[in-house]
Amino acid sequence: MLAPALKGTIFAEHIHHYYKIGSTNTQAMEAAAAGAPAGSVFLAEEQTAGRGRGAHRWYSARSLGIHCSVILRPSLPPSEVLILSLAVGLAVHDAVREIDSRVEADLKWPNDLLIEGKKFCGILTEMNGEATRVRHIVIGIGINVNQAQFPNELQSTATSLRLATGTEWSRVELCMALLKSLDREYQDLLHGAGARDSILRRFQERSSSVHGRAVSVEENGGFQGITEGLDARGFLRVRTRNGLRTVLSGTVRLE
Amino acid sequence: MNLKEIKELIEFLKEQEIAEFELERGDVKVRIKRAPDSNVQAQDTRIIAVQTPGPLVTDNSAIAATSPPAATPPKEPTVKAEGPLHTVRSPIVGTFYESPSPGSPPFVKPGDVVEVGQVLCIVEAMKLMNEIESDVAGEVVKRLVANGQPIEYGQELFAIRPKT
Repeated sequence: MLAPALKGTIFAEHIHHYYKIGSTNTQAMEAAAAGAPAGSVFLAEEQTAGRGRGAHRWYSARSLGIHCSVILRPSLPPSEVLILSLAVGLAVHDAVREIDSRVEADLKWPNDLLIEGKKFCGILTEMNGEATRVRHIVIGIGINVNQAQFPNELQSTATSLRLATGTEWSRVELCMALLKSLDREYQDLLHGAGARDSILRRFQERSSSVHGRAVSVEENGGFQGITEGLDARGFLRVRTRNGLRTVLSGTVRLE
Repeated sequence: MNLKEIKELIEFLKEQEIAEFELERGDVKVRIKRAPDSNVQAQDTRIIAVQTPGPLVTDNSAIAATSPPAATPPKEPTVKAEGPLHTVRSPIVGTFYESPSPGSPPFVKPGDVVEVGQVLCIVEAMKLMNEIESDVAGEVVKRLVANGQPIEYGQELFAIRPKT
């Protein structure tokens, strides 16, 4: 159903659809290690072990969300691939806006997407490579689409596109828009001049929390401060009592 | 490489009873050879040659002078201690994780024998989890960074004694 609409993108050829799976990222990482081609897409109706960062889980109820992982094999050194993390968030942002321009999605560094402070999309990227060469990257994207409610423990922090807009969404339509916008971001990064600057600029335009926002960061013992934009590599700068610090990876909590 | 790192390296070589060690990194070349027996006076570790355009040269004498005297005669180097160590470096800036998720067992620990391509750790940056693989087969001798520590591009993560 998706393939014809994705003609011309790197995602048109190898789409795998599962009704139930442990985790699309785990599946994609294993397939990539076994030689699956770049552009392979893994979609699941339900994940029984959806993963987030660290030990976090991704709530993946049946046929309500998008659980999508893709394999990429960019000809870039690992250090130049990091910014893809930000670009994927932008791709989701664009796809959502393409389907419904009323949605005010807000990016939280590095790539969570929120609506009115509640998360509806999480992205987890896994990379395997050598010092100078990426062997494969798997980008996992989880989007809460048609959930009408969440388990108690998630109610204060999670939302869905349906809850935010009051209408049901077509997951197929959104997923197509997403794979197309992801293809655009990826091709730009590989071939486009100035792609990195464009990613940094657009991210800062679409994130309300990347400038002047009080945050606490878990990384490195934990610290608090006020966000001060991104550096040239895409890392978040935070002004603390003890000076400017750069956040590499930790969870950033909005205060 | 600074004075502190060299000192740590020397301590480490002593601990592991490594007789001879060579390291080349950019313009810096360090070769350390330990005396084979206790007849050598107070000092059991000598830096044979250090070539570097940096400040390391001036540190050279200080290192030799501050090397603690051997409390006991150094033991005979064992067979397995021979040969230079291989270091695995990080291809990205990020945070070092020894295990796939908090609380789970580490990918590897010192003493483990690893194959080429075996995952040693994860370095995370911007929620991108980078699996770092071993590029040699051999024995993991030491982990050179702490779990959760921020690390730089090119930083050394593991010392591995290649299988001969």
